[in-house]
Amino acid sequence: MPHRRLHPGRPFLVLGLVLGAWLVVPTIVKRFLRISFFELQAPVSLSASYVRDLQDYWSLRTRSTNELIAAGRDLVRLNASYEATLQQSESLRQQVTRLEALLRLPAVGGYRSEVARVARRDFNGWWQRLTVRKGRNYGITVGSPVIFSGGIVGKVAEVNATLSVIDLISSPGVRIAATLDGDTRPLSYQGGENPAFGPAVGIAEYVPTDASASPTSPKRLVTSGLGGVFPPGLTIGEIVRLETSTDGLFKTGEVRLDPRLTELNEVTILVPLSPN
Amino acid sequence: MRRSSLLFLTLLVLWVLISQANHELAPLRISVFAGGLFVVFAALRMDRGEGLTAVFAAGLLHDAVSPVPFGTHALLFTAAHAFVYHVRHRVHREETLVGVLAALLSNLGIFLVLSFLVGRDLPVGVDPWPRLFADLLASQLALAAITPWFLVLQRRVLGWAGQTPFRTEHRA
Repeated sequence: MPHRRLHPGRPFLVLGLVLGAWLVVPTIVKRFLRISFFELQAPVSLSASYVRDLQDYWSLRTRSTNELIAAGRDLVRLNASYEATLQQSESLRQQVTRLEALLRLPAVGGYRSEVARVARRDFNGWWQRLTVRKGRNYGITVGSPVIFSGGIVGKVAEVNATLSVIDLISSPGVRIAATLDGDTRPLSYQGGENPAFGPAVGIAEYVPTDASASPTSPKRLVTSGLGGVFPPGLTIGEIVRLETSTDGLFKTGEVRLDPRLTELNEVTILVPLSPN
Repeated sequence: MRRSSLLFLTLLVLWVLISQANHELAPLRISVFAGGLFVVFAALRMDRGEGLTAVFAAGLLHDAVSPVPFGTHALLFTAAHAFVYHVRHRVHREETLVGVLAALLSNLGIFLVLSFLVGRDLPVGVDPWPRLFADLLASQLALAAITPWFLVLQRRVLGWAGQTPFRTEHRA
């Protein structure tokens, strides 16, 4: 049987046809495909995450009894300090409620904490994202702030049936309204460069000219609460360098982010109690 | 259709492995991109329609978990498939070395185009290129190491299911 020779341009004709067909596919079909493909890989990501947890469990089983006793003792101390903090927090909450009633102030919107395990980390030069093992099944909403013991992690970018995707604060597209610790003047934070083998850095913009920071005396950068996404006072990072911007009106600085951001296994999602 | 499904299954396995590798590499702040490897077997050793279907589906899988317009990876993979398919009758496509070279070149092309597409949306003052070049270097090294294994895996999976890569021979 004689072999059939393809016209040299035929693969590109097919490419053109695929491109043309894709451009006219309705958005609703694309959205359906996106959700379908995401949910197709979701069980795989979830299973891999559970397998990692199992590995951790078995590696912990190899620890000696003395190590476990020491860890238990540390945990008891931590719990005691958290109990004290909880009591203080409750007393402050009651005080806030009393003042709100006295001054007839509108109540500040609260958050529900949802602790979630990290299923997948996707950190590259283009974007920095985490996928966590909670989604619509736990009432997670898009835009919810995500925190850990070191401060802000990022915010929820996508919510699916059993998984949510979080944009990290080190992601170049992320912007947060911030302020210097102990100051009330607002400034802007945005994710910056993520060098290989080095800590991620962010950029602080519109910093007041009287502020100063250096690697030896860094300034803590916290959320301002403006914009309504993040509660005020949460740590973003530390400003380690400040330079006067080209217009001379403000300073621009380099923000050092917590190095633990790349190793997170568990985060807390703050789900707003009121939808608005 | 059966060959496309089997090929897509192998690509799904590859996607899982790469995403798990990237999960573990995250603390080192380096990542691996293996887009070229999703294309090369289909483009070199399969019929156009069946190969293209699997490659396009693999691209959609990438798109579903990435913050890029849906279809970006799929169309880039399709383009890489067209290029490799176009030259395949001029090379010894059954050779492993040819497969490795095709994977590396496809990967380079997809990575650079994707970098320019995503880079347009980055804020002023952010220079992602040093990191991107480090990622590209790591990706090419990883690809050179795993491509021979993955090509054999794909051939074996088709073989176990009683399928051959080619339904018809198109070599000139």
